[in-house]
Amino acid sequence: MLKITDLSARVAGKDILKGVNLEVNAGEIHAIMGPNGSGKSTLAQVLAGREDYEITGGSVTYEGRDLLAMPAEERARAGLFLGFQYPVEIPGVNNVYLLKAALNAKRKAAGEPEVDAYEFLTLIRQKMKVMHMSESFLTRGVNEGFSGGEKKRNEILQMLVLEPKLAILDETDSGLDIDALKVVAAGVNSLNDPKRAIVLVTHYQRLLDYIVPDRIHVLSGGRIMKSGDRSLAHELERRGYDWVLESQVA
Amino acid sequence: MSSILHPSPLPQSAALRSFAAQWGTRAADPLLPLREQALQRFLKLGLPTTRDETWRHTSLRALAAQTFVDAPCKTRGEIEPNASLALLNKADRAASLLMVNGYPSMPPDGLINGVEVYSLRDVARLDPDTLLRFQEPLSDADQQRWALLNTALYVDGLYLKITSRLPMPLVILHVATAEGAGNIAYPRIIIEATPGSSATIIEHHVAQGEHTPLSNSNTHIAMRHDSQVEHYRVFATGADATHMDSLTIRQDQGSQCKQFTIVLGGGLVRTTLEAHLDNPGASLDSCALLVGHQERHVDCVNLVTHAAPDTRSNQTARAIASDTSRVICNSKVIVNAGAMRAQSQQSCRGLLLSPAAEIDTRPQLEIHADEVKCAHGATTGRLDPNMLFYMLSRGLDRDTAQSLLVYAFLADSLTGMSVASARAAIEIALIAQLPDSQRLRNFR
Repeated sequence: MLKITDLSARVAGKDILKGVNLEVNAGEIHAIMGPNGSGKSTLAQVLAGREDYEITGGSVTYEGRDLLAMPAEERARAGLFLGFQYPVEIPGVNNVYLLKAALNAKRKAAGEPEVDAYEFLTLIRQKMKVMHMSESFLTRGVNEGFSGGEKKRNEILQMLVLEPKLAILDETDSGLDIDALKVVAAGVNSLNDPKRAIVLVTHYQRLLDYIVPDRIHVLSGGRIMKSGDRSLAHELERRGYDWVLESQVA
Repeated sequence: MSSILHPSPLPQSAALRSFAAQWGTRAADPLLPLREQALQRFLKLGLPTTRDETWRHTSLRALAAQTFVDAPCKTRGEIEPNASLALLNKADRAASLLMVNGYPSMPPDGLINGVEVYSLRDVARLDPDTLLRFQEPLSDADQQRWALLNTALYVDGLYLKITSRLPMPLVILHVATAEGAGNIAYPRIIIEATPGSSATIIEHHVAQGEHTPLSNSNTHIAMRHDSQVEHYRVFATGADATHMDSLTIRQDQGSQCKQFTIVLGGGLVRTTLEAHLDNPGASLDSCALLVGHQERHVDCVNLVTHAAPDTRSNQTARAIASDTSRVICNSKVIVNAGAMRAQSQQSCRGLLLSPAAEIDTRPQLEIHADEVKCAHGATTGRLDPNMLFYMLSRGLDRDTAQSLLVYAFLADSLTGMSVASARAAIEIALIAQLPDSQRLRNFR
């Protein structure tokens, strides 16, 4: 589904990604871990199409298409979803407006008819229930005045409504208490099926207690330094990231 | 009245000479000494120039070279305002009062439930002291220049005395209309909210016909203790219209005022708000929504004086400028000595939508008292790239995302409007001026 080859990228004149290689197949859950500043978020943003990040080398194919040639909105409509580490507050734009517009944009691109208001409200109410979100959400501005936890739930809610093929969740677990973490994990797991893939970007092993990855990768210094199965997460938790770096040097 | 006036030296500009000539056509009334004084001061001071503090960004040079005659006096019957100009449906308003070029059409019995309505011409004749009570001291301040001229030359207007709690908004429809170029009108409104009364009053400025006179309008709101007024001034004229609008508010103890200044039309629009929080507990929320569009020039000046302890003011302004438009937003809060525990906030945000557009903001504070809480802030910029990317990453196309963000920037300031019908009508008029208005309509 996703094939990243030797991807390099620069942000504000600084090289951040220095040759990332990664392959994600349908039905898989991957976790990308790594120390602060290793390029995890940059990778997520580059995949979602952030324009002010300069691609300096490599290629990315998504379902056989050249992902890097597609503008952000086209990637979204093609089923790629980025759950933001810091979801933006957009006062004045209603949550429901945005979600409905997003869903309709995707449906339009797929040649499907737009959802009507009633159908949409039914759908969103059902998904809100999964995410334990209150009705007040419907009348509020996008992420406006949301707590950190609410913002993260909202990201997952959007994901559930948009049903992406490839979800990249950038530190969705950070800032969540244990109850919220369980809700978010349940939301993510509900989307897990053989046709989709999920890439989790995370610092901690904690999230992986609730969402079980097939593969774990350690990103450091702009490269994937180590990959393994879920036991790697436990090892990292025990021995720290330095261990990976040292073993590479050795 | 011309014989009484000997301005010396003779006014320099064509406009000033024509204003002096208008004076000659006015009939004497009991306010004559005041009016004459106002005119003399106006002629002496002249039209403001860009050297004057609050006119730095607005040049009246072209205007000064023109000559002006009085816009025609027309009343209901002689002119029927186009139904599409109405901001609110009949069912959504207590009444609609018509002012054509400043001349009011009086309701048959002078009474609307809870409001006494008088023509200023009648009040001047029968009870001039009432008018003098609502007359602000003549001021040489540059932001009061057009108010001086209005005081000298207004012929008629409305005095509304709110005597109870009005459940529905009262609309004053200002229609500007002229048969030729170079007309000027002097609409004048006095609103008195008696103790404990409350009302929503919407002044809606529109134009009809081929030519639009310059409108030098003036509104005074006197709020007695514990009264509540929500006042709107909505400018929705065409690109050829010039507005010089002055609004003064005087607030007694415990009075609460919400004021909305909404510029959605006009070519050159200058609005002034001078509010005086004269007694403890008075509070003012003012909100300006300034839309620069095409070649429009909008200049908004607010001056709020805290003259008593425990007074509160909150001023917000949202300005957008597209094409080659220019929006200026100046606000100032003065806290007088003795106005302890005064609280004030000023927030002005500007959004530039084209490289040739310009927004100038300047919040100011002058504090002469201790124990006050005063804050101010002003920012101007372009659309937030993070917000834009967030929306794109959800699949919205760029145009939709951009217009939604522009709308969101302004919509924030609509939320304080308590009259849902007015808010909806203003929202529709607002959307019509934003890029991609068709798309935005789908989001409402």
